[in-house]
Amino acid sequence: MSEKGNQDRTLSAPGIHGECVPMRDLSREEVDFCIVGAGAGGGVVGAKLAEAGFSVVILDAGPHWNPVKDFVSDEKDSRKLFWTDERITGGGDPVELGSNNSGKGVGGSTVHYSMVAMRAHPEDFRRLSLEGAITGADMQDWPLTFEELEPYYEEVEEALQISGPTRYPWGKRRRRYPQREHELNASAQVLVRGCVKLGIPVAPAPIATLSAPHRDRPPCVYRGFCNYGCTTNAKSSILVTYIPRAIAFGAEVRPNTMVARIEHDERGIVTGVLHFREGGRELFRQRARNVVVAGYAVETPRLLLNSSSSLFPDGLANSSGLVGKCFMVHTGEQVFARFSERINQYKAPPPGGAITEHFNRTMLDAGFVCGYTIEVVGPHPVDFSARLATARGMWGATLRHTMLDYNNYSGLGIVGEVLPQWGNVVKLHEKERDRYGLPVAHVLFSFHENDERIIAHAKEKMREIMEAAGGEDVWSADRTAHLLGTCRMGHDLSDSVVNKDCRAHDVPNLFVCDGSVFPTSTAVNPSLTIEAIAARTADRISEMARRSELMPV
Amino acid sequence: MVEEQAFQTRYPDYNVLDKWSSPDWDDQTREVVRKRLEEIPPIRFFTQEEARTLAAVAERIVPQPDRGEGEKVPVVPWIDEKLVKDERDGYRYEELPPQREAWRLGLAGIDETARALFDGKSFVELDPLSQDVVLTHVARGDAPGAAWERMPAARFFKSVLCITVVKTYYSHPLAWNEIGYNGPSSPRGHVRKWEGGADPWEAKEADNR
Repeated sequence: MSEKGNQDRTLSAPGIHGECVPMRDLSREEVDFCIVGAGAGGGVVGAKLAEAGFSVVILDAGPHWNPVKDFVSDEKDSRKLFWTDERITGGGDPVELGSNNSGKGVGGSTVHYSMVAMRAHPEDFRRLSLEGAITGADMQDWPLTFEELEPYYEEVEEALQISGPTRYPWGKRRRRYPQREHELNASAQVLVRGCVKLGIPVAPAPIATLSAPHRDRPPCVYRGFCNYGCTTNAKSSILVTYIPRAIAFGAEVRPNTMVARIEHDERGIVTGVLHFREGGRELFRQRARNVVVAGYAVETPRLLLNSSSSLFPDGLANSSGLVGKCFMVHTGEQVFARFSERINQYKAPPPGGAITEHFNRTMLDAGFVCGYTIEVVGPHPVDFSARLATARGMWGATLRHTMLDYNNYSGLGIVGEVLPQWGNVVKLHEKERDRYGLPVAHVLFSFHENDERIIAHAKEKMREIMEAAGGEDVWSADRTAHLLGTCRMGHDLSDSVVNKDCRAHDVPNLFVCDGSVFPTSTAVNPSLTIEAIAARTADRISEMARRSELMPV
Repeated sequence: MVEEQAFQTRYPDYNVLDKWSSPDWDDQTREVVRKRLEEIPPIRFFTQEEARTLAAVAERIVPQPDRGEGEKVPVVPWIDEKLVKDERDGYRYEELPPQREAWRLGLAGIDETARALFDGKSFVELDPLSQDVVLTHVARGDAPGAAWERMPAARFFKSVLCITVVKTYYSHPLAWNEIGYNGPSSPRGHVRKWEGGADPWEAKEADNR
């Protein structure tokens, strides 16, 4: 089941400039930490644990991309960046997966994300206390407070060199961003003009893309293909930030590795993972003293459920019955309008450089709690034409005529809070199997009434902004974004799967560290919060190790 | 239904391929686009009849009356290739069968609808207006045909058929030309990104010169 060979064999991994870097081979060792998933959660926790002196192997189901050679300025070819294996989607409001929200490859979804780097707010961590119980929703306070996470937001903002304004007007006062804000693109100018006319506060957006050189990475040249992989390394993805750190500190990053199940001994202590490599059907074993699952809110519960055993008949770490429950997304309604001036929405980072959190608050007069953030979007033609086809039901000559004005359309989109509901779940599909014979994820999702009120309000506000800015032919597209919940953090088995240190209540040497642990969704892009939680988790693990609280010793 | 007048591009002199050797195109992008232009895959998944039906359907979803046979953006070969390789999209609606089955069933359904509505004629035998009537029923989900009892017509049209045809068309440089899309942009990127701004290498509008 394991390969023979030299214990000290050195592997090579792609560096970020097209070079090869040496990497340790830990496949035959019992490592301190085996991390499943090399994205926003796994990349950060893996790099920090390696720096703290632990032996770490990070597995990812997809390739280890070489940004300057592998990423292409082409929408169609970039399908290789996404999780395109089958998943079944259903419920009252089925969620689009694949290229909409699911990366596959070292760096995870940060390879294709839009880089909006926002902090959640102090209120986001205590929604149940603030809003009270809401019918049909399963609101919960986070076991973490904003104050506990705040230093880690600063840490990852520094590591990713977030660019942003000197004074960001929403949330708790903060020190200035590590890099200056980006110049607005045309779509951001539209948002600003509309907001100013309507008296809605608007600000430069914090973005995980360099606006000035940093170490061996150049500033952004505004290619605009951010959602298809950055070829210049200006984008602060996990692939070009934390992954090189992890490798430099002795971690092995093993790509094209699909984890089939997590193994445990008769005491219920996790002992490692079984995985397939490079598409082959042979199972390999990676022994590990601790396992961290960081596969994002669909693959993480799928792996735990696929790891069921006689000791854990309902899935690993699932004695609470909460694994896969309270699956959340963000409402991602988009509104487009046509302008007389050319917008050329394909230019510059998709978040454009402007944002408003004015509606990121409970607005009881509008009938909703929590709220939403308005951002700028800039789909390229394949994506834009698909929106026209699906959202407007456009086809035929009408579609081709409308597309002739592609360069004159400008877009806005929201990140809207979605309330947690028990009925929204990720479970194992009864019949469908992937190429390895593993049951695939079955995702069921329906909006809560509060979510629908947020969507309606946001649609109306974005329409007003577009019209105030001079836009015509205003139309909207229903969308969702991000994957959250399914292994929520909390106090004990009555309310959660993991504790505030992301450690499973049931299994002392198993951690979950990704968007799955969010008890509520917040109304901001989640990557920075996932990264901050991961950075904190790594520190907590080091602290526990010092106190000999890690299992097994 | 909009009259099929000429598709009047605002960018008559623009050809994205003129930038092939410019700093906007890197080697890996050139290779990807070269294959798209030169290595059009043979039909291996669809039967001849299915391919003919899909070609007729694609011509209604993204009509190309302005281009002669052999000049049109190829759509069917790329969908066929997706199905030969069984390249999935990462999600499938519960009510749909796996994609290969969905395409076969859907194309059969379109023919069934055509025959039910137009005296037993197949889809390819219909005039464009009647073909649009058939597709409108499929898109609305009220199309007659046994296939649609096994698979909801509206879901197939929206989430499988229409979106794939449209995405395939707008992946092609000819489509980029007509809409003035800048296309590949690595490593040069952009400078003039404000409203009304255009870099010298971006598409120029006819009346702006």
